[in-house]
Amino acid sequence: MENLVEIQNLKAYYRAFLYGVDREVRAVDDISLTIGRGEVYGLAGESSSGKTTLIKTIAGAIRPPLRVVSGNVKFHFGGGTQDIYAMKPEERMALRWKHLSYIMQGSMNVLNPVRRIRHSFTDFAFRHMKVSKAIFFEKVAVHLQRLKLDPHLLDAYPHELSGGMRQRMTIALATILTPEFIIADEPTTALDVIVQRDVLTMIRDIQREMGSSFLFVTHDMGVHATVSDRIGIVYAGRLVEEAPTAKLFNMPLHPYTQHLVGSLPKIGDPSTRPSLEGRPPNLAMPPEGCRFHPRCPKRMEICSQKVPPLVTVAPERRVACFAVTGDQV
Amino acid sequence: MTLLSLSHVTKIYRQGGMLGRRLITAVNDVSFELGDEPEILSIVGESGSGKSTVAAMILGQTEPSEGALQFAGKTVAIHSRAERTAFMKEVQPVLQNPFEAFNPLKRVDRYLFETARNFSAGKRPDRQQAEKMADAALHHVGLTLEEVKGRFPHELSGGQLQRVAIARALIPQPRLLVADEPVSMVDASLRMAIVNLFGRLKSELGLSIIYITHDLATAYYVSDNIIIMRKGEIVERGRARTVLDDPQHEYSRALKDAVLAADFSGVG
Repeated sequence: MENLVEIQNLKAYYRAFLYGVDREVRAVDDISLTIGRGEVYGLAGESSSGKTTLIKTIAGAIRPPLRVVSGNVKFHFGGGTQDIYAMKPEERMALRWKHLSYIMQGSMNVLNPVRRIRHSFTDFAFRHMKVSKAIFFEKVAVHLQRLKLDPHLLDAYPHELSGGMRQRMTIALATILTPEFIIADEPTTALDVIVQRDVLTMIRDIQREMGSSFLFVTHDMGVHATVSDRIGIVYAGRLVEEAPTAKLFNMPLHPYTQHLVGSLPKIGDPSTRPSLEGRPPNLAMPPEGCRFHPRCPKRMEICSQKVPPLVTVAPERRVACFAVTGDQV
Repeated sequence: MTLLSLSHVTKIYRQGGMLGRRLITAVNDVSFELGDEPEILSIVGESGSGKSTVAAMILGQTEPSEGALQFAGKTVAIHSRAERTAFMKEVQPVLQNPFEAFNPLKRVDRYLFETARNFSAGKRPDRQQAEKMADAALHHVGLTLEEVKGRFPHELSGGQLQRVAIARALIPQPRLLVADEPVSMVDASLRMAIVNLFGRLKSELGLSIIYITHDLATAYYVSDNIIIMRKGEIVERGRARTVLDDPQHEYSRALKDAVLAADFSGVG
């Protein structure tokens, strides 16, 4: 598969001086991954595991105290190659929404609450289309109809729509310019189960029709099983395992992934599920060595001393765990 | 004797002023009972199904418009502060979002001590006694007073805060806990810790728990009985395992079908 996004050794840290103490929060620590053209790459991890920081660094939306320490992010949009950190701000602006767009978690935050939805469409997409207003709204209407949404909804205010409907409008907004790469950050977390299913089906349909690549971020493994082609598991700022969806669910290798997949209760299976001791580490003071070792049921002596490297153990499978790969260094 | 009984309870909210007044039926003719035996009852439904309104009525925060709500054989009617304290001694809430439930500028242990003082029978306990009570309650949820003493909410993780919230609810030694979506804001790896904790509280302390959720999988896992609500009405009820293994009502089936299985079956 041809790569659309290439991320190499990306490190992004938050730096804060508080009460004379220099603190560094390593929210993204040495992450490398690629996303193929037309692929849905799922990213799973808990809150404060660095998922959102990773998205920000991929999209080039860096503001202090966050800074990129090393590594690079390359896109292959429209046949060319773009390095997001070697670009001028104007070039980056032109890239956004047209090639790279974003579906956010809280749809209320995307749509301006005091203006009709129509205005959100003009604000985001009009300047990229380079057509007259009349033609622009014709195109928007056609796009909405293709997504089975009523174009009259453009004249509604965000609060007049239900949560599910609003989320569908933001998806329509993110896909209006048929971008090649879409980042979806917990797009269904705020919705209840039935609406969630519909919204996921819609995302899947759009993806098939437009052939776009997705970076799909959520902590819900059930959502990943439904939409993702390949899944990367993030724990405390590091990628700990990566595998195609079927393989990850059938044979998880990393103990953390095993817990994520195995602990979820299922209807029809009343067996007892263990809960994991401890809690995700504070990224300002992560444990030495493997960041999962204080909670790991398979920890060995080496785990608290060395950082396990992300090793390719089979085609398309990478894992960072000494219990799986042995001490290779 | 039954611990809690709702018979034909209806709640109608009025919205709007003199003109354009609208009546919204949030809960319509709901009846169910909790027996004396400790049990976990799940109330499941989509947003707007009235499950939180049922919780508010059980907690005595709002009165039913019609029907009767009885706790331990007595009609729930709160008219004074003393009555509220007496009632809250028996029935305690656990809220959805632990980050919002605690004041960010207040140390979390203060909530524990205040609850200990407010709900003690007879003489108000001194500092040492209050600490002892707080520590005992924290032990039930797998924490110690040492871990939370003097800490502010932002210094604890969501899972820890939620456990402190549950510990606080345990201090008056209630007979019923009403938990409204207690795990929806908690991380995946901590979620099962909370759900398993409910099972333990039931067996160890003999506590009955009303577990309100839209997550059918955890409801199946932890609860004895289940009630499925839609638009303010109960559409199906029964033993949790029986109902969810083979739902009868069309809506229950739709809910079950919408659950995304966390295993890969090649769909999608």
